[in-house]
Amino acid sequence: MKTITQFNKTGLILAITTVLCSTQVQAANWLMLQGTEKNDQAPRAKVWGFAQIDYQQTDDTKLKAGPGIGQSAAFNQLAPQLTNASGFNIKRARIGARGANFPLDKDVNYFLMMEFGNNGITTGGKASQGQLTDASITINKIPGARIRAGLFKTPGSEESFKGIPVFNYVNFTNGTGRLLVERFFTNSSGDTARKSSVGAVRDTGVQIFDSFKTGEWETSYAAMFGNGNGLALQDNDNDKDTYLYLSTEKAFGKSKGPRSHSMKFYAWSHNGKRTIDGTSGHKLDRAGLGATYFDGKYRAAAEYITADGMIYNGTTGARTPANGGTFSVLKDQKADAYQIDLGYRVMPNMELNARYDVLNSATDSNGDGGATAKRVFTTTTLGAQYFFNKKTSVRLNYEIRNIDAPNTPASSAVHTILDSIDNRLSAQLMMVF
Amino acid sequence: MKKLNLVKLMGFMFALFTSLPSNAAPQKEAPLPDTFAEHKIVLQISDNNPFKQTLVLNVAGNLQRYYGADNVDIEVVAFGPGLRLLFDGNVNTPRIKILMDSGVRFSACENTIKNMAKKLGHRPELQEGVTNVAAGAGRILQLNAAGWQVLKP
Repeated sequence: MKTITQFNKTGLILAITTVLCSTQVQAANWLMLQGTEKNDQAPRAKVWGFAQIDYQQTDDTKLKAGPGIGQSAAFNQLAPQLTNASGFNIKRARIGARGANFPLDKDVNYFLMMEFGNNGITTGGKASQGQLTDASITINKIPGARIRAGLFKTPGSEESFKGIPVFNYVNFTNGTGRLLVERFFTNSSGDTARKSSVGAVRDTGVQIFDSFKTGEWETSYAAMFGNGNGLALQDNDNDKDTYLYLSTEKAFGKSKGPRSHSMKFYAWSHNGKRTIDGTSGHKLDRAGLGATYFDGKYRAAAEYITADGMIYNGTTGARTPANGGTFSVLKDQKADAYQIDLGYRVMPNMELNARYDVLNSATDSNGDGGATAKRVFTTTTLGAQYFFNKKTSVRLNYEIRNIDAPNTPASSAVHTILDSIDNRLSAQLMMVF
Repeated sequence: MKKLNLVKLMGFMFALFTSLPSNAAPQKEAPLPDTFAEHKIVLQISDNNPFKQTLVLNVAGNLQRYYGADNVDIEVVAFGPGLRLLFDGNVNTPRIKILMDSGVRFSACENTIKNMAKKLGHRPELQEGVTNVAAGAGRILQLNAAGWQVLKP
């Protein structure tokens, strides 16, 4: 009997191992593309990177009401400085190296990258143009449980998790920009600047992950445990964050890489705690689910995100810090956001895009700020991309932007302030090397 | 293409001498393939460049399509850093299996295996169906002398 039991156990393990055979994934699987290298093919060090040169412009409509009446509106200025309403910007300029440090051993690989552009990563506190964004080592020794440790992108929303070189728009959606790209402040109100780089959907910690092929589908998982302190290399409190991710993807044909043809479904969660106003333990929870589709001609994506706990709340009266505006964070609130994104390749090297996104911020009437704190951000983005080649592209976006305060009395100046928001025109030239 | 130019010959000779163990007795050559194919080609992969791995497999497949699988005899000889192509689990394993099934032979340099074993602490596991030859460069010269044309993509 004992022998039979042992046999059954062995058979079961073998069966599971066969079915869940860890695979070298070729689809747009960000866990694998960012965290692993091709078996026995990776060089010792592949130097690579990308640059994005932006031009963005609004009408620079001044605030129509409130304490900053007649002054520049923060939401009509270009991030991260918020000092001008139009201009060129080297938004991202990243260089890094990745590969197998000991090429004979396919079980170890690494990923290093730095940011030299002008954005939230390189501004705030002691951040500088030359900011480490990624420094990770992956150990692939255990079948079904690869281990990645260090600083790297956290598994989550497709919009933030995907590689920036294949991002189809110039700017993030409201949901990603305000809920997922975390800003760090010392206090929940009164701060005139961030205390450090934005989190850039990265964290320092350890992740267990892998991908399995079952028929035509690739199913991937990740569980990460991190500091919850963004790009900072060390923690600032004793609270840790957990990240969970699950996706399943069907590849179409033999296309490979980040723009491969596939259909994907995914869900994720992020649970963390933060220190602000001198106290720790403030909840910062996020979760989402979504789907993507790309067959080479048609592209579609949809995602829904929820947020619970700390939520970024912009500047007071929509004023810029230079004009007395201060940043605020709602420490205990809720939010949800969704987006629908469509693309159509009119030619193999030209894609038309349309994206509609909504962020319902501060939806908990019992939360910080009460019912009147609720804001609804709605943006419709029309865009076009032209691909000079696989590594060089240009994109043009026009964002039709609107912010409402549905629970604020009609007589409130808030409505007039929010009415100051402009549409935004942006163009971006990007190259990957 | 049948005659190696002087530079290539010197390169092969250098690779041959450096890949042979010093003070070693001459090793027995592997037998020549028994083939009636009209075209006989040996492909060399000795490069660390990952693109070369893909390229050498592309060339093997393209030659078979161009001449017809029955009209061309192809042997891929891997040595030095290029041996990683034949490691068990290499990302190209499915393609190599298909080429093997269509008649392409893959040879691995035993000298390189021994050297890598010293660095790894164990012999690298190679894919099923790969034949070990005493010296990769020597195998190329042996085949070339017997009428195989040498290509290093």
